[in-house]
Order: sequence, then C-alpha cells, then structure tokens
Amino acid sequence: MPHWLAAEQRVQLAAAVRAALTGRLVHPVAAIHLEDVLTELHVAAARDAVWPASAARVRMATGWDADVLPVRLSTAELDSVLAVPGLPDALRSVLGEVRA
Amino acid sequence: MDTGFGGSSAGLLQRLRPTRVGVADLRDVAERLLPTVAVPGLRAELVQRSGAGSVLLLEEDERTVRIGLAELADDMTRDGVSPTSTGIATALAAWVVRRPVTDRQASLAGVAVLHWADRRQTAVGWRVVVRRGDLALPWTPSPTAGRAEVASTRSTATDRAHDVPLDLRVEGPVALWSHADVPVLATGALVAPERMIDAVAAAGLAIPDMHVVVTPERPVACAERGVAARLAGETPEASVTLPWQALAAVPWV
Repeated sequence: MPHWLAAEQRVQLAAAVRAALTGRLVHPVAAIHLEDVLTELHVAAARDAVWPASAARVRMATGWDADVLPVRLSTAELDSVLAVPGLPDALRSVLGEVRA
Repeated sequence: MDTGFGGSSAGLLQRLRPTRVGVADLRDVAERLLPTVAVPGLRAELVQRSGAGSVLLLEEDERTVRIGLAELADDMTRDGVSPTSTGIATALAAWVVRRPVTDRQASLAGVAVLHWADRRQTAVGWRVVVRRGDLALPWTPSPTAGRAEVASTRSTATDRAHDVPLDLRVEGPVALWSHADVPVLATGALVAPERMIDAVAAAGLAIPDMHVVVTPERPVACAERGVAARLAGETPEASVTLPWQALAAVPWV
C-alpha cells in the first residue's frame, strides 16, 4: 500500500532521513534502506510526472491536494524510517497507520 | 482512418445517452467548413451521389478517404459529439486533421518516435510521425512506396528526431525528457541515447548504465537499472524498460 504524502510531509521525511544518515548511529544495512527511501521520494515525483492519471484519479476521489503523491516503501524501508529518532510524530503516525 | 474527433466530444453522460448527429446538420457544416480547411495539395469536398447519400471525399497525394455522411454522422454520435453546429464543426475539423499521412509528407517532415508495437502494450517499435498542430500522426507507407523510399524516409525521420527540442528535468536519480506540446515526440530523443547520457551528465546526473522507461505518449524516464525498475515496477501503467544499448535493436513497426 502506498503512503499518500503531501509535499511538506515528503520534505520532512527527506530531512529526517538525511539527518539520520549524516549521524553515525545508523546501522549500515538500515543506512542502505534509508538511501532507498530518499530514492523513492524522487521516484514518486518522477512516477507522477510520467503517469499522472492514476494518482490524479485518487486525488479527485478523495479531495486531496495536487501535491499529494503515493510513496511506495518496502517493509524494510518503512521499518528503517520508523526507527529514525528525529521523525516528526505526525509523520510517524501517518507512516505507521498504513503498516498497522 | 482514425475516427477520433479530438476534443470535440461531450462528456460521459453524452456518450451514455447520445443525441444523434443529424446527416443534414453534418452536410450543412461540411459545406461551410470544407472550403476553409483546405491546405495545399488537399482536396476536401462533398460529392453528391444519385440514389445514395452524400460522400465526403479527401484526396491528398496518393491517399484517398471516402466516407458516407451517414456513416460519419453515426461515428460522431457514437463518439459523443455534441450535435450542435459548433460541436459538429469542431469534430469535422479534427477528423480532417487526422487524415492519413502521405508518403510525401512523411518524407518531408517525418520524425522517428516510439509507438506501441502490440495491442497488449508489451513492446515498442519505431514509427515515423508527422506533426499536425498538437498531434503527431503515424505514417503507414502506401502500397506504392518502394523499399528504398521507405528506408530513406525512416532514415531522414531519425535524423530529424535528433533536432526536436525537448525539456529535460532531473528529479534526483531520474532524468525526465518531455515535449511541451506533443508528448510522443519525447521518445524521439531515444534515437541518440549517448547524447541523452551526455546531456543528463551535463545537468549533474551521471547514468553511464542508463536504462530508459518508455510509455509512448508520456515523458521518457532515464535512470540506472535499479531505479528504473523501481520506477516502472511500482505502477500499474504499461511501460517498457530497456538498457540504452538495446535501443539500436528496436524494430520499425
């Protein structure tokens, strides 16, 4: 299931992940997953540029704003993100909800 | 011939409960419109047949399109064209624009692009298209076109594709190529993938093992293999992913 994140949430997620990666407390395997999360944030934007119709249909049905994009994270990537200490609570809640 | 009527169609409700496009109304519109759509070399006129309905005739170079007004009116009705004078005129103008591309036009103005090679949209192939306004119409060689003529047209169209101005956007590890007005022209860049690699590198992204993700009529995405797989693998949209070296082996269709 994708996480539907607004532009501000994606900026917050990227900032938290980058902060974690620049610290020295991340396990090397988790660091790889976090790098992949940064990749996915770019890829989500690229996906929407190439194939905008499917996400646009969901936005129209839900009334979400135009900057809300589906971000697709693997279980390992999501676990690594949720383990980031500096992740804002609201974002942690949004990401955790989908997993629950 | 494509029976698409461009942006003249009404909404879903109109298609579900179509109001018929009348033959007499279509004839009135055609008599008024056809003299104004003339371009050099195109003959567009109504032909009255005794004992039968009128026929709309398009003649251009080696191509001839004939369609009965009743049949064209039925096509418009099925497509949900608004049965007003303006709706019919817009649809008829779009129909004329979508007439077949002639051998001469393909030779003089064709551009090589990638189209779907099969109905299931699992493979792509090169085609020559000719731009008419915001449309890029595919060329099918006429039966009279010789093998050398077809090869020459394709070769020239490939050369022309080098020069189509495209927009490049770098989104992290992904490079996106698009055309401002005619989406399918973005795939023309793929005639010279090495140039794309160089241009993307100049924009700050090095992708020596570039893979391209192609959905004809959509922007072209380029990325290293893993990123390209992630891009294309997590969407239900049809696409073809190829390493750049494989582009040289893509056939003409």
